[in-house]
Amino acid sequence: MKRFIFLALVAALVMAACSAYAWAPKKNVTVIVAYKAGSGTDNTARVLSKFATDKIGKTLVIQNLEGGSGSIGWTALANARPDGHTIGFINLPTLCSNIVEGLGDYKVDDFVPICNHVNETSLVMVGKDSPFNSVEELVKFAKENPGKLKASTNGMKASNHIGAELFAKSAGFTYMAIPYGGTADQLLALRQGEVDFSVAKEADIAAMMSEVKILGVFAEKRMASFPDVPTLGELGLYNKWYGSARAIVAPKGTSPEAVKFYEEAFKAAMEDPEYIAAAEKAGVTTLFMNAEDTAKLINQQYQFCTDEVAKLWD
Amino acid sequence: MLETLSLMGNGFVSALYPVNILAMIAGVTIGIVIGCLPGLSAAMGVALLLPMTFSMEASTGMIMLGAIYCGAIFGGSISAILIHTPGTPASAATAIEGYQMTLKGQAGKALGTACIASFFGGLLSCISLYFFAPVLGKLAMKFGSPEYFWLSIFGLTIIAGVSSKSMVKGLMSGALGLLLSTIGMDPMQGVKRFMFGQSSLYEGINVTCALIGLFSMSQALILAEAKIKQRARATQFNDRMLLTKDELKNIAPTIGRSWIIGNLIGILPGAGASIACFMGYNTARQFSKHKELFGHGSYEGVAGSEAANNAVTGGSLIPMLTLGIPGESVTAVLMGGLIIQGLTPGPNLFVGETAKMTYTFFAGFVLIQFFMLGIGLLGCRGFANIARLSDAILIPSVTILCVVGSFAIHQNFVDVVIMLIFGVIGWLARKFGLNNAAIVLALILGPIGEKGLRRSLLLSGGDPRILFSTPVCWVLIALCVLGILSPVLMDKMAGKKIEEDE
Repeated sequence: MKRFIFLALVAALVMAACSAYAWAPKKNVTVIVAYKAGSGTDNTARVLSKFATDKIGKTLVIQNLEGGSGSIGWTALANARPDGHTIGFINLPTLCSNIVEGLGDYKVDDFVPICNHVNETSLVMVGKDSPFNSVEELVKFAKENPGKLKASTNGMKASNHIGAELFAKSAGFTYMAIPYGGTADQLLALRQGEVDFSVAKEADIAAMMSEVKILGVFAEKRMASFPDVPTLGELGLYNKWYGSARAIVAPKGTSPEAVKFYEEAFKAAMEDPEYIAAAEKAGVTTLFMNAEDTAKLINQQYQFCTDEVAKLWD
Repeated sequence: MLETLSLMGNGFVSALYPVNILAMIAGVTIGIVIGCLPGLSAAMGVALLLPMTFSMEASTGMIMLGAIYCGAIFGGSISAILIHTPGTPASAATAIEGYQMTLKGQAGKALGTACIASFFGGLLSCISLYFFAPVLGKLAMKFGSPEYFWLSIFGLTIIAGVSSKSMVKGLMSGALGLLLSTIGMDPMQGVKRFMFGQSSLYEGINVTCALIGLFSMSQALILAEAKIKQRARATQFNDRMLLTKDELKNIAPTIGRSWIIGNLIGILPGAGASIACFMGYNTARQFSKHKELFGHGSYEGVAGSEAANNAVTGGSLIPMLTLGIPGESVTAVLMGGLIIQGLTPGPNLFVGETAKMTYTFFAGFVLIQFFMLGIGLLGCRGFANIARLSDAILIPSVTILCVVGSFAIHQNFVDVVIMLIFGVIGWLARKFGLNNAAIVLALILGPIGEKGLRRSLLLSGGDPRILFSTPVCWVLIALCVLGILSPVLMDKMAGKKIEEDE
């Protein structure tokens, strides 16, 4: 009898498990990354994919569809067959600012959020030989010499240009933005001394910490990784979080069961101690958010792009 | 110093572990196959296999990726030589002489030359990797916006070299290439130029697409026009692959020059193998004793181009390893691989525990070159038979390769259409005696020059003096002048020599 109860319990558990995971991929899963191989997004996507493969049970095949500031890959993702075998990584706020700028052929509603993966905070930085040692010194000089300071950006109206604009507008100075068409070149120019300051994200400078001075962070409270660096809000400047987030989404029409399946699988992967160790080593700042919170984040970022960012360029 | 030497020695010992040897053989083979298929680039190959290396030891993983990189750069020359289809942009210049050699029945010799030149180019680039990495790494820091402008101008002077038949038509081809390079989003202001509503053109015309069209598709069209040739019965087919001692002696200085060119270009971020092959080719032509053979199948030309593009491999690793600056997409993926292994590129790669991994990788890089030579020479014997194929098989095969290759880049049909358009442009260009190599060269260099010039002027507030502000600028200006004048001077000198001989 005891045995029977035990078996019945097992059967019930198995059935419960089956109904919870009613959906599972039947073939390899295509993961669209809208940036080229070797880019920041690509690297973090590959780290996660490696650890998620076990949880998903099929191989995740990363497909790099770069170009058009992400819009080529995201157009492909939005138009992919929503059978649960194609998912992709999106970058915020770039996905939203592309929509506002009219790049690419998709809207926010064309994607179903699965979960958030990475959050990176933006930082204000100067080269290691710069005369400026604090945000105050930099702002003071900039105000006394309007338009004289030069900042490298990763492209016209790109994420780090938005960051530099938010900083300058809130501090009330004018500067010259020089677009370099990519974060690697943007930071090389800063290290060469071709420009005076830059705004970039924390993972971008992991390989060059000794060559830059970080003056301020775009966060609501000080960051654990830079406890001595003030937030811009503390100094009376831009007082909200700014940075980038990378989330995993599926094309509109993907079944809720499939979304649930991936949400759980990626959650498990991000909680895997081996993943945590690998991500830490690679400088990836993981932040899991469930589908619901990710949807909120995407909408909030879209709002940010239509309200605040659009005003920056007037 | 002694410590460094022992690190180097130990590096070789650990690089010879069976698992590393296996990684080299597998990597080189996969690389050659990826390289010779048009549309699949070295960067794609490395990225594809990157996840496989996560579970390997750092040095083994890096050796495997390095092997794919070297193999792919060499592999591109195989299809360039045999079917006028450069497998990667790095072999564009190889196609010029290599295919002419194939037409003369010397496919084997062309492949052999490419293999030997690639081997020496790669091997010599290891010397700079070992001994001058920290010094040369600093060079990358000296190249700002004005320097890149002059570098692109210097690159454009090569047009004079590749258009031996008619300078005016060469310049016209270059101008056409520059014009085409303005398509896409303007790099400074984000204005859309000549895009006709196609978001695929946002980042400009994909160079690989244009290359496949200009070189391969146009080749298929040209072949289709003429009477179908049954090459299998061609009597003059000679598949001797190894060079004679005299021939080796002949290409030795060419390889030396290409090594230096390839290495320096490799170190500069953004330049890369596609420019180095043209520079290597051009220098080989300038110094050659048999200039008349250029354009008609000169093995020196093949050696110049192939030694230069493989010398880029070692060179491009230098700024990535010493400064954390990835110069091109392959090294960006390699750097991603390093970071995922928990290694931070920079000076700390050369001290402590990580130095062991670094020197094992270096030793592996040396050994990779030997495997590339072996596998290359073995494989090419088989590949060379492609040159015997009848046009009736060759034309449809090349066309299929072109379509599949251009589609493979982004899984995008617009790329196929662009490839076909460039096929027609290339076909017309050849009819009118324009130069497809010059078009590609200008297409690659145009954006580098435009960004360099406009960014310099933005930085200086419109003052053109910034372009003459550093010693590096002046060196490059001197090279430009030399590049323009040298064909004239060389002709004069050659003329004098003939007079003296008489």
